[in-house]
Amino acid sequence: MAEISFPLPDLGEGLIEATVLDWLVSPGDQVERNQPLVELETSKSALELPSPQAGKVIRIHGAPGETINVGEPLVVFEVPDNTAGIVGTVPKDDAPKRRVRLSAVLDED
Amino acid sequence: MYESTTATLEARAATENQSVKLSMQQALNRALDEILSNDPKTVVFGEDCGRLGGVFRITDGLQAKHGEPRVFDTPLAESGILGMSVGLAMAGFHPIPEVQFDGFAYPAINQIVCQIARMNYRSRGTLPMPITLRVPSFGGIRAPEHHGESLEALFAHVPGLKVVSPSDPHDAYHLLKHAASRPDPVIFMEPKSRYWQKGDVDAADGGTLTGARVVRPGRHLTLVAWGAMVARCLQVAELAAEDGIDVEVLDLRWLKPIDAEALATSVGKTRRAVVVHEAPLTSGLGAEVAQLITQSCFDTLKAPVDRVTGFDVPYPSGDLEDEYIPNIDRILLGIQRVLEYRRG
Repeated sequence: MAEISFPLPDLGEGLIEATVLDWLVSPGDQVERNQPLVELETSKSALELPSPQAGKVIRIHGAPGETINVGEPLVVFEVPDNTAGIVGTVPKDDAPKRRVRLSAVLDED
Repeated sequence: MYESTTATLEARAATENQSVKLSMQQALNRALDEILSNDPKTVVFGEDCGRLGGVFRITDGLQAKHGEPRVFDTPLAESGILGMSVGLAMAGFHPIPEVQFDGFAYPAINQIVCQIARMNYRSRGTLPMPITLRVPSFGGIRAPEHHGESLEALFAHVPGLKVVSPSDPHDAYHLLKHAASRPDPVIFMEPKSRYWQKGDVDAADGGTLTGARVVRPGRHLTLVAWGAMVARCLQVAELAAEDGIDVEVLDLRWLKPIDAEALATSVGKTRRAVVVHEAPLTSGLGAEVAQLITQSCFDTLKAPVDRVTGFDVPYPSGDLEDEYIPNIDRILLGIQRVLEYRRG
């Protein structure tokens, strides 16, 4: 298994920090991609931050009320080695499926 | 073709002579580890290659073992990664840079084409560029734009570059060590959709590392492929066998220089050929392969060489790539076209 750190992403509009309002996941939770992780408040708005990936949450940073800078660690996930850090998905070697049949008269000249 | 003795001998002497099951990711990681251990002039770098170990974990653990001066992260600037490679090579280093994805090589085309490929020529042999540029290549992983492209024809067109693509863990291990031992710049195209499939790696015996390799012998038709398409062509060959067609699969491996002799030998025997690649059709490497086959086998060919390729469109993201990358049915149809062909 490998660990992947998810730092607080750039939330746009030039914001450089956010305050944790409430955690929606706990260490040990298995989360899916796009599942809300945490409620944050910036100087512009409150927002729910979706998970960038599936995996097991093993650490969270920042208690409610604490402020985190963009780029600082927010969540650490544990994921299987072969998906750690990858962009896209790992293709499976499925049993080959076909619709086309070959027909040929092979004249062995 | 050039001699391959250095890496072969080194690999033979290096380790135990039994094969182990490794994924291509593990095989490449092990090869890099050994290159770094054996050659103090080697440096490995790129975006996320250091602390993270690479987005595909090819450089996993190498910074911790070999130190940050030799395995390090770069800024997100491919022109800088390859420009720095030029300077390092001029200073006597053996750089193994990575561009994180195929499509990220475009910003570094100037450094690759105008500097790396011709510095040796320009300097009358006094400034060789022993650079192995690792490029996770081709599609098949549902990634966004610029993450699924096949640039072999672009690179192969540039005098001074060599281009190679392994199709399985064994070749990945040995070809990377071989490429890194060469005095010339080598573009090393790793089929990213094959990183995680395991295969036997015999570290002690790499076999012949130059030229193409017959991965499945057959009598009726030759499928020519490289990178990720080799595995697919092997599947197609099994299916064709159900219909009584005995297909040979030739893994081209080296895309510059192309092993014209292996093409002549294989198609000279089967008398029919289909080239399969993910890259777009027009000016793709399939055209070059078809010409080489035609040149050597014109008198005995039973049909024109056919091509089953991607389409002349930007590489499509997501599920659409299943329609773009040559699939089993499209390759079978290509085979059928060739089998049906009659002269006159």
